[in-house]
Amino acid sequence: MDYILSSLIFIPLLAVLIILCLPKHFTQGIKLVALLATSLQLILSVWLYSAFDASATVQGYQFVQQLNWISLNLQSLGLLQIQYFVGVDGISLSMVLLTGLISVIGIISSWTISKNIKGYFALYLLLVGSVMGCFLALDFFLFYLFFEFMLLPMYFLIGIWGGPRREYAAIKFFIYTLIGSLLILIVMIGLYTSAFDPAATAVRANLAPAGQVVSAEVVAEVQRQVAAGTLTGASIVHTFSIPDMQQAANFIPGSILNILSEKQLWDIPVRYLAFLLLFIGFAIKLPVVPVHTWLPDAHVEAPTPISVLLASLLLKVGGYGLFRIVYPVFPEAAAYYAYFVGLVGVLSIIYGAMCALAMADLKKLIAYSSVSHMGFVLLGLASLTSEGTNGAMYQMFSHGLISAMLFIITGVIYDRSGSRMIDNFRGLAFSMPAFTALVVVAFFASLGLPGFSGFIAELLVLLGAFSSSAVSGMLPRWLAIVATGGLLLGAAYYLWALQRMFFGKHWVHPELKGEPVMTDLTKREYLMLVPLAILVLIFGLFPSLLLNKISPDINYFLQSVLQNR
Amino acid sequence: MNITAQSLITSLTEILGSFAFLGPELMLALFFLLIVALDLFKSKLIKAALPWVALSGILISLISQIYFLNNNQAKQAKLFFSGLLITDGLALYAGLLFSVAGILTIVLSVLSKQLQLKFSGRGEYYAYILVLLAGLNLMAKSVNLLMLFVALELVSIGSYLLTTAIKRQQDAMESGLKYILYGTLASGVMLYGMSFLYGFGGSLSFLDTAFWANLSRLDSPFFLVIFLLTFAGFLFKIAAAPFHFWAPDVYEGAPTPIVAFFATAPKIAGFVVIIRFLLQIKNNLATTLQDDVMLLVGGISLLSLVIGNFTALWQSRARRLLAYSSVAHAGFLLAALAALATNSIEAVLFYLSVLLFMNFGIFLLVQVFEERLQIFDIKGLAGQGKTYPLLGVLAIIILISLTGLPPTAGFTSKLLLFTNIWQNYSATGNQLLLTLLLVGLLLTGVAFFYYIRIPYFLFFKRNLNPEKKVVLGREDIVLAFISFPLLLFFFQPAWLTELIRQVVLYSK
Repeated sequence: MDYILSSLIFIPLLAVLIILCLPKHFTQGIKLVALLATSLQLILSVWLYSAFDASATVQGYQFVQQLNWISLNLQSLGLLQIQYFVGVDGISLSMVLLTGLISVIGIISSWTISKNIKGYFALYLLLVGSVMGCFLALDFFLFYLFFEFMLLPMYFLIGIWGGPRREYAAIKFFIYTLIGSLLILIVMIGLYTSAFDPAATAVRANLAPAGQVVSAEVVAEVQRQVAAGTLTGASIVHTFSIPDMQQAANFIPGSILNILSEKQLWDIPVRYLAFLLLFIGFAIKLPVVPVHTWLPDAHVEAPTPISVLLASLLLKVGGYGLFRIVYPVFPEAAAYYAYFVGLVGVLSIIYGAMCALAMADLKKLIAYSSVSHMGFVLLGLASLTSEGTNGAMYQMFSHGLISAMLFIITGVIYDRSGSRMIDNFRGLAFSMPAFTALVVVAFFASLGLPGFSGFIAELLVLLGAFSSSAVSGMLPRWLAIVATGGLLLGAAYYLWALQRMFFGKHWVHPELKGEPVMTDLTKREYLMLVPLAILVLIFGLFPSLLLNKISPDINYFLQSVLQNR
Repeated sequence: MNITAQSLITSLTEILGSFAFLGPELMLALFFLLIVALDLFKSKLIKAALPWVALSGILISLISQIYFLNNNQAKQAKLFFSGLLITDGLALYAGLLFSVAGILTIVLSVLSKQLQLKFSGRGEYYAYILVLLAGLNLMAKSVNLLMLFVALELVSIGSYLLTTAIKRQQDAMESGLKYILYGTLASGVMLYGMSFLYGFGGSLSFLDTAFWANLSRLDSPFFLVIFLLTFAGFLFKIAAAPFHFWAPDVYEGAPTPIVAFFATAPKIAGFVVIIRFLLQIKNNLATTLQDDVMLLVGGISLLSLVIGNFTALWQSRARRLLAYSSVAHAGFLLAALAALATNSIEAVLFYLSVLLFMNFGIFLLVQVFEERLQIFDIKGLAGQGKTYPLLGVLAIIILISLTGLPPTAGFTSKLLLFTNIWQNYSATGNQLLLTLLLVGLLLTGVAFFYYIRIPYFLFFKRNLNPEKKVVLGREDIVLAFISFPLLLFFFQPAWLTELIRQVVLYSK
């Protein structure tokens, strides 16, 4: 199964081509192709999950596929090498599984789309393929390519199929994310001009035969020679490979991002600046207060399935980027700015929750709760403790499941009434009992009730944040204490919304269009909500299911960050 | 002066031998005469054949350029016509780009409805294009101030005439007049600067080391004034701020194929001349003066970037928007050249090559929308993407490339350019370069904001008065052909960079 990761990326892209070839009016066929492609993707990702070897003996990436893609000769500066380099480890595994799962749910949710079906499903699959590519890429350029590739489909999906203010929301989404990706681009250029690939350099400098695996001794020899300055200029192969960038020995002496050259700009070390640029770039995607303002608009205007994808997958790309690139490549800056990162994390938790408390629109409430919950990811990561980082990753996975449920729930209400205003509904529990039960599950999972996956994640993060000052010395205790307040606020806005909308005497605002009949869930809606609810429960009761797979690699990640700081 | 018979004979043989290097230009001149002669006949058949005659002329000149490029013996820089002109990799590669631009101009002209109508001087139109191409080739080959001026004037006069090719149009006349006024002013200022250069340098050839050694003795502010005066002419051609005022008006008034040509070919020629000058400055001028030149080029680049990008934001007509975006592109290219480093030439040539396809693509779109669909401003594009999906998708590819986002060659060219600036910054630690890099990158975000308005209207807005669908067979195919390299050079940039690398190796 050498090609499993590539199939995960290219199955949806292939389906895009098939859909483009189908006639416009063959809507059932288009939907079926999309469902088939995503189901296949789900099966493969589940298989990948079970086949992934998490025993401590295997470290690093599995199912790796590495091909040379673009080589550019920069003459005296050496060779620029871009690879098609994909692989999976504990950090990406959970995200791949999440992507496989949510894509299918999204397709089911998209079944009722009626406007320009062909274009919709083509863009949807393009988006899903790019997200998958983002989670699997180990070459920075490839990652960046998929990262940018997510923008356009999302832009059109919001801008064409969205709500009344869709154009504004689409542009706002695009501008924010584009600015983020430009910041990432700056650092990407800096990184690849500074870093080299020791194995490929060995081949280019005739220190190792081509076409074979380069031994560790030769790699060390090349690193020594480059550091000593005997191997320079044209024989150096510049690389975008993320694993190569994680080793300080793979930076050219005197280059701007080499830790030893201690370059400064405006009296700040350049590596710290690079860390900040990358951090802001990914923080916009995450999103973090104060660069979160695109998120409520995008969510409110996006159609339900796209909101689901946005909250469950696209936000995770931001967090994943921090795990995959920012922290391992700039460990000393990560340690230096841990306090700052933790602080914006807590700010997001509290500010997001307080905004959610003030919202009259259910979808906006959930959007702000996403901001609040993604703050936990930052807090856990900043703590640089084993509990904290594992919890951050767990939170990404768990929030992916829960937020999908939450957005489907708003979709259910909106489909029936054309409104999402909390004040327009009362006592829905009477007309929609089954729906209410699932809403309770989702709300309680999200506010962190024990037994649900959100509890495990937030507990781990808070444990990490509390122990951080003693274990790694990163965060002061008061941050953890304040963050706990976020849980309290979460309980407040969810319970209040629940009380206002679902309890009391049954009443629906009479001026809503067509006097809506609030019927209970259809089969299609059960098909989306029930599996998610079960998964939220399973991962809440048996956290080891996921943690066993991911924590060896996360602990390894943590070690390498702490060692190199 | 005493000229002995012997030296007269040697220089005559040299001049005769020099004609061998002038193949492409001679071909163009020959076909120019042919078209003028054929235009005298009244037969409709001959009139209809004129574009194809011009096209074959350019093709023949292109073949001779390729022959020079492939000929191993020719792979060295050679001065000819007693040091007036040079044939080297830079000139030949530029010639290649001019020919491609010429071919695309003719193709666009054939597709243009406006130009199919009968108007007086239709033959002249095609003849002027050939003259313009010859002038551009000469400009890229000039290494002598006087020769450069003559070539530049040839290009300018051809440009003025082509701007007003369709004489019945009111705004064409206005823009033509503006162009002439600005153009002659720029030429005059340049000539003034050149006279100083000649006076202080003691030579007309700017490959002469003595020329630069003499100039090195000048005081810094005085040299800068001379430098700026001379560069005014080149900056005018590449539409860099503050010499860009002609661009929006000319872009609005001139026939679309000609605008596409102006946005590309003279820009390439201007950059070739600028590269030649900056390389000499780098190699031969006193270092204190070099720093001043860097500052000046960097400043002009910054100004172009800011003015181009921010003014483009407020434009409601595609042509004016593209004019300002072309100013911004000049800014990007100058940013790479501000380091005065040899290694930037490759990145600049790559960018220019990609720009060629992007410009012709976008102006073909403009032409299709204006002439076939009667849409003149961006708001009118509303909903057309749904009616013409292929056109819409190709428009997105071209605009994404103009912005510089993956997966298009526009991204690769920006990546190479920024990489180059970054490298020169890490090598020299010059803060100016860092500023240029950061400003350039952030303005890419601004650029995106105005480019995206076109797909935004194409796809998001509803078409309020849907009309009958026009069949666009040929336009679609040509547009697909023009957009194809934009994807190709993203996935296989090495094919282009290898060629450029070899070419740069024997440039002066």
